[in-house]
Parts: sequence; structure tokens; C-alpha cells
Amino acid sequence: MRPRYPRVKRASLPAALVAFAVVALLMSVPAPARATPAPQALVAQPNLAASTFSVTWNGADVSTAGTSSSALAIDLAQSANLNFNWSTGDSSKVTVNDARLQMFYFGFAVTTRDQLVSGAVASAKGNIPLSWTPLSISFVLEGVYRLTASFLDNGTTLWSENFYVRGTALLGFVALLPIVLLVLLVYELYGLVRSGRYAMLGRKTGGSPPSMPAAGTPPADAQTPAEPPAGDSPPPSGGSS
Amino acid sequence: MSATSHGASCGVVLGIVLVIFLQQIGYLDLSDLLPAIENLVIGGVVGGILGAVIGWALGRNYLARHAAGETPAPK
Repeated sequence: MRPRYPRVKRASLPAALVAFAVVALLMSVPAPARATPAPQALVAQPNLAASTFSVTWNGADVSTAGTSSSALAIDLAQSANLNFNWSTGDSSKVTVNDARLQMFYFGFAVTTRDQLVSGAVASAKGNIPLSWTPLSISFVLEGVYRLTASFLDNGTTLWSENFYVRGTALLGFVALLPIVLLVLLVYELYGLVRSGRYAMLGRKTGGSPPSMPAAGTPPADAQTPAEPPAGDSPPPSGGSS
Repeated sequence: MSATSHGASCGVVLGIVLVIFLQQIGYLDLSDLLPAIENLVIGGVVGGILGAVIGWALGRNYLARHAAGETPAPK
């Protein structure tokens, strides 16, 4: 009887699942959005010193959600109405031809939404509305995410602000990733609880298992097999070849 | 594979998965790359150490309760 050894590759299944999920998420990110550095809160330009920029999310000023603990509670499946407002406060004028919203995860912009203004002219005040559904795959993710709202002029960031949202999936807790993670947690906890059994096997692997007799020495209680009959007859199947 | 190393491997996976799970339920922010990597590494190291200690203790307990040669192999 062969001794049964532990399945040493048991832990590779969850590791492979986690690696697959991470790679799949990273592969879904567009290449220009990868490794985007976090924008500064305010780009210094002389004519913008007295300007006032603000962004509202469904009427709430995003500057009140500057930390993860004060994140805006949103439904990731619901569309949000944002308003990008600016005012110079004096006679100077500002040209804004792009209002951008980005969502970051592990430092990568997983979602970017641009509202381009064609034929933008310089003005002392203005407003750009933007309607946005945070995730098209809202059943996959939830949790706290950092967003960045930016005013741009021909690719140059005039002003930007970071804020946080706390997204909930449908019915609160049915997103796919948390369920997969929960299954992995239970699986690994079960493996950890059973890890004590591996101590005995680790000890056994050093020598021959006690249940296996040594080669050529029959056990003491083993009976000698009966001698075959003198007249050795051929096997009944007796195929001729 | 000993009980200690098996517990450590389980603990590393548990620590990493727990960090991502905490982000998903809203208790952790993984938006920035460097803090997120730090959290994952800390979770893996702490989980590995705790898992190794738990595996070692469970292994000793198992050896104390079972005589050598009469224990079934784990499944």
C-alpha cells in the first residue's frame, strides 16, 4: 500500500485565481491610462490665481469628500450628474474645453470620462454638465475609490481636485469580486485549520511508512502460500501464440 | 510540506485576500499604487507569520493527540 502524501499544490489554486483576476483587471485598462501620476490639486497659472473652480456631484460639492472617511455614498450602477463650474471673479477670462473625471484603482485610471466642449471661447464664468455612470460592470466591483475632477484647456490641466466615493453594488453586497474573495477566505481558513495534519506526514516522509513491510521479509503473521500443484497446468485462457 | 509551512502559505493568501476584501467592503482605500502595494505586502507578511504560528501550534497539537503510524493522511 502506497502512503498518501499531502497535495503540495493545493495552495496554488487560490493564488492562480487571484493572479488571474488581477491580470484581467489590468488588461482591461486602456494603455494611455496606466500608471498615471496623481494630478496636483492646483496647477499654478498666473491668470488663474483669482479663479474659482468647483464640481458638484448630484448637487453635493465634491470638496466635502476629500478623504476616504468622508466619501460620497453612491450607487455604482446609477448615473450621476456632475457640474463643472468656474468663475474668474474679475475681468480675466478662462478657456475650458474639456471637463474630465477619472476613477483610480491601484494607481491606475480604471475609468476616464471626458466632456469635450467644441468651439470653446474664453469666458469669465461657465458651466459644463457631465452625466456619468461610474461602472459599466457595476456587478463586479464596489468599495471606496478615489476620483479626480479636472478642468483642461487643450490638454493642459487648469485645475483638478481629488475626492472619494463609496460605491455599493446592487442590493448592497452582491458584487462578484467580494463574493469570490469571501469564498477564497473561507477556503484558506479551512486549509489553515487542517494544517495540523501535515505535521504527521512531514515526520513520516523521512523513513519508510510503518504500514509497509520491508522488501523480501514477510510479516511475522503472514502465512506461507500453498505450494503450487505438482502438475503445472496451463492457464485456462490458454491462448496460443 | 510541514504544518508550519502549510499554515504560512495559507496565511499569506489569507492576508492578501483580506486586504482586497476590506477595500471592497469600504474599510480600506487602494486607489494609490504605493500605499496599496504596502497594504498587500503587510497583509501577506503578517498573514504568513500568523499562519506559520497557527500551523506550528496545530501541528504540535495534532502530534500530541495522535500516535505515530495510526493517523490517516489528509485529504
